[in-house]
Amino acid sequence: MSDRLEHPTLYEASELGPVLLGHRCGLCGLAGFPRQSLGCESCGADGDNLKPATFTARGALVSFATVHRHLGKDIAAPFIMGEIGLEDGPLIRCTLSAGAPSDLRIGQIMIGALEHNPLAEADVRELRFKPESV
Amino acid sequence: MSKRLSDFRPVFVVGVGLHAYQKYSPTPYVALGVTAIREALADAGVEWPEVESAFVATALLGMAPGRPMLRHLGATGLAITHVENASASGSTAFSLAALEIASGQSDLNIAIGVDKPAMIELASRQAGLDFLERERVAAFTHFALLAQKYTHAYGATPEDFARVAVKNLANGARNPYAQRREAKTLQEILAAPPLAGFLTPLQSCPIGEGAAATILASEDGIRQLGIDPRRAVRVLSSTLRSERIYADNSGFDAALTEETVRQTLAEASVAPSALDIVELHDAFTVEELLYVERMGLCDPGDAPRRLKAGHFDIGGEVAVSPSGGLIAMGHPLGPTGLGQIAEITRQLRGEAEHRQHPNAKTGLAHMVGVGAVCVAHVLRREA
Repeated sequence: MSDRLEHPTLYEASELGPVLLGHRCGLCGLAGFPRQSLGCESCGADGDNLKPATFTARGALVSFATVHRHLGKDIAAPFIMGEIGLEDGPLIRCTLSAGAPSDLRIGQIMIGALEHNPLAEADVRELRFKPESV
Repeated sequence: MSKRLSDFRPVFVVGVGLHAYQKYSPTPYVALGVTAIREALADAGVEWPEVESAFVATALLGMAPGRPMLRHLGATGLAITHVENASASGSTAFSLAALEIASGQSDLNIAIGVDKPAMIELASRQAGLDFLERERVAAFTHFALLAQKYTHAYGATPEDFARVAVKNLANGARNPYAQRREAKTLQEILAAPPLAGFLTPLQSCPIGEGAAATILASEDGIRQLGIDPRRAVRVLSSTLRSERIYADNSGFDAALTEETVRQTLAEASVAPSALDIVELHDAFTVEELLYVERMGLCDPGDAPRRLKAGHFDIGGEVAVSPSGGLIAMGHPLGPTGLGQIAEITRQLRGEAEHRQHPNAKTGLAHMVGVGAVCVAHVLRREA
């Protein structure tokens, strides 16, 4: 039996690693995340004009911060939150794999991996990002 | 072609009043609001029945707080409009009140902001979309991420950000309406455990309670009601914008501020260098550095140097947040933008007492609200 995903509407596993579930506007080309069909944030196109798209979990680190306090109940602080500009376009925020801020530098390539969260059930995996070179 | 505030007849702030911002207390919001309104009426020298309409700004109180508060001034039957625009609620109420006077619909009205702390869920949480970060990113983490980007771009240090709090807490210590009235040293601000990144609690605004009121009038209203025109401060421009899609990943906060302030300064025909007073949305210290640069008060990356040199102090080149800003005066949400207008009005009149910036003539008020929205006004002393 395969593992469950923490956010099955946001990402899924593939043979080449996790992919994020978004959409691409057929009119203006904007890549959006998360997936929706209500309307393109750039041009307002809706419905069938918003084509489901999958985005590779790979991109450049735009920023990061160690979080010491937060409202979430599903992770213990401190942890590192990152902003990643996906190579396919969208800017996302995602928890980074355990490590030290000193291991990070803005601009470095990050890749996603489905990892176990110690506070979640044993068979649940969530998407986290880490430096590609690690 | 659409019109701007400046295309209509002139609008003036003729009265301001506040209830001091403070931590949550048992005091009902009605008492907070009535205190601010009575102070504003006395400041303007007008009576409540002469106020033709009221714009009531609140983000946390719930539906229809205006009438239960305003009835204690006398139930005159005036028009009441409630305004909610997140942190920019008060600024938006002021904008609507100014436009009503400018259009000729009334000659004297009031914008009042009042709030008490409450835990509410943002509507965006009910928008039907999920996000990876869910509740792991509080507001201070959003700004810690911005601070990290700024540090990377310009080599800023934690001390550079903390100096914003040093300045604003020193200003707040001179403001009887401020929630935080105690100056702190750089070391004291940096010593506390951080919330996220290197942002410590004193680099984050307190969310408390309070009220702020501004009374606006036309030239006809000033003349007919015998208001002292020498204490009237003109509203030169009023601009509201919201976030767009921006080309780079530098963040919407600064970009939205830049285009909103540029538009409002253009409407007012005022150059950034002509501003004497700026009250801005410094909910977190990094915002002040970002915004003064994008407002055109200094070059990108130069804000830390200018801050350290005292350029943004009371008595400096331009006094930034002489009230203490959100960091020290506090951020009760509904009142905040109107508290900025009250501070600028007092500064331009020369009535700011211990925190008076010398020869202040022109001021800018700037607020950002979750969404994001941005509201900016330019005010000038003309007498």
